[in-house]
Amino acid sequence: MTLAALGIDVGSTATKLVGVTAAGDIAWRRLAPTAPRIEAQAEALLAEARAQPGGERAPTVATGYGRKLVASATRALTEITCHARGVYRRTGRAGTLVDIGGQDSKVILIGAQGQVLHFVMNDKCAAGTGRFLEVTAGRLQLPVAEMGDMARAATAEVPISSTCTVFAESEIVSLLARGTPVEHVVRGLHRALVHRVTSLVRSLGPRPPYFLSGGVAHNAAVAAFLGEALGAPVERAEEPQLMGAYGAALSALEP
Amino acid sequence: MPNEIHVPSRREAIRAQVQSGGGLAAVFPYHPPRALLRAHGLLPVEVWGPPGRSSSRGDAHLQPYTCSLVRAGLSFLLEGGLDQARVVLVPHGCDSLQGLGSVLLDFVKPAPPVLTCYLPRGDRALDRAFLADELRELDARLAAALGTRPDEAALLAAVEREERADQALGELLEGRARVGLGEEAFYRLVRSREYLPAEDFAALAGRALAAPAASARPARTPLVVSGLVPEPMALLSVLEAAGATVTGDDLACSGRRRYRPTQGPEPFARMSEGMLSGPPDSTRGASVEARLQHLRQLARAAGARGVVFLTLKFCEPELYYLPQLREGLAQDGVRALSLEVDLAEALPAPLVTRLEAFVETLR
Ligand code: SF4
Repeated sequence: MTLAALGIDVGSTATKLVGVTAAGDIAWRRLAPTAPRIEAQAEALLAEARAQPGGERAPTVATGYGRKLVASATRALTEITCHARGVYRRTGRAGTLVDIGGQDSKVILIGAQGQVLHFVMNDKCAAGTGRFLEVTAGRLQLPVAEMGDMARAATAEVPISSTCTVFAESEIVSLLARGTPVEHVVRGLHRALVHRVTSLVRSLGPRPPYFLSGGVAHNAAVAAFLGEALGAPVERAEEPQLMGAYGAALSALEP
Repeated sequence: MPNEIHVPSRREAIRAQVQSGGGLAAVFPYHPPRALLRAHGLLPVEVWGPPGRSSSRGDAHLQPYTCSLVRAGLSFLLEGGLDQARVVLVPHGCDSLQGLGSVLLDFVKPAPPVLTCYLPRGDRALDRAFLADELRELDARLAAALGTRPDEAALLAAVEREERADQALGELLEGRARVGLGEEAFYRLVRSREYLPAEDFAALAGRALAAPAASARPARTPLVVSGLVPEPMALLSVLEAAGATVTGDDLACSGRRRYRPTQGPEPFARMSEGMLSGPPDSTRGASVEARLQHLRQLARAAGARGVVFLTLKFCEPELYYLPQLREGLAQDGVRALSLEVDLAEALPAPLVTRLEAFVETLR
């Protein structure tokens, strides 16, 4: 398929690249852990995309925290606009998008035409972000990808009182030292993360339907617990990590 | 060309004043009696931080929930930053500033005399009479500290000079579109009112307005900027790069100091009337209704669909009404973004994203 536009989302944890057709469908994608040399990595990934049919002339929009480092991008847009655009294209509905990325989380109110009505960001603290799960998984010596299933399967949970990632780590150590089963701790950790995100959602006022995007959306427990906390189901976007890059590519299609 | 206008820095203004044999008054925000200080031979130089410096020296004397403006100012004083001043003036704009005045008078006791003055919370005849008395009292204390006794004619001349500068500030803010300066450079010019002699500021503003704009600027998203002070100043460049421009100013350091000209033979009455005549300001205890009405008018006149509130962490007067102001503006379809900054910190990347995203939502 011929690529008509490209979107690159340089996140703190992963860099995502999406190529879309003139109709706005995803035709090409790449995802790689963000390298320390962002400029070089972005250009290498873009070179690969531009080698695809149509890719050479495809306009490119960059987003994500490293958006300004993508020298060959036609334009840069924030991840707020791009995530909203990507998810709206997929769902076609107004609502509240919760995006939990590697190092921040955001809640975006999407209007009936897909426009951003309002947004809030947690960008000051790692609690409530993917980093919280990564750090605690490291402490528990668990693969982060398995934590969600473990949390859902657990039959009990312990409350994690520390809202700070660093303090949560030491709380885990004392819980384990007291013999608390690992899965109860894992479930408690998910609940703590969701608690943070829920306050962010509430600060905008509850406006269902709720959508979840970002890398953490792969974790089924987060979506389930968030739904419980908000009292309404939370739909996980398909290819949730790509929504920013997808929205960027859709924006690149626009004149 | 407007972009060739040289705006003297605080340092340059201070050096020029000292070289000419004049004295300096270090004044804390928000509504200092500039005319009175000038009449006593002092150049009022406002202390807004300074930004981007550690405030740890001041922290030891203050409650942890004190705003960074007060923390930074106190640190600067303790580091000797205000040693050149002949007096330090702390107007009572809020509880934190009042607390600072007390800390300075009772504990720190710096070498330059510390003077405080109370700003009434309203704009009734009673309030104006009260402030006029405060200023007379301040005049006596300045005379005692400095040995200067300006007569009525000197006081009136000082009042008129300041009023011309106030008018120039207003014209500058009104004529924003004509001045071919970028957002940050424009605000460096506006904020030179904080430390330049009134006549120099008026002349500078006049030159900026008279110079032809370098080139027509592309259409930009109009915004109102509210809050206390546009720090870090780099925020303004971010705003410009995002395609926005400030068309309405409700900042405590500039737009809320558009005082009206006064008339009459009595200098203290005129000073008092002028100082209380500015737009509704949280640091003068304006009601939320008055603040909202002013912001609504400003947004309408500025053609702005968005207001950016630049608040300082722990600033109670400013933060208190924010939810109601946001709600009220939303009824007019005007969106609001609040960015909380700490004067000691450099521009944080997440703030840039929020500001850019906000501008994107307004397009
Ligand atoms: S008005 Fe706010 S920022 Fe200003 S001194 Fe008072 S508390 Fe601090």
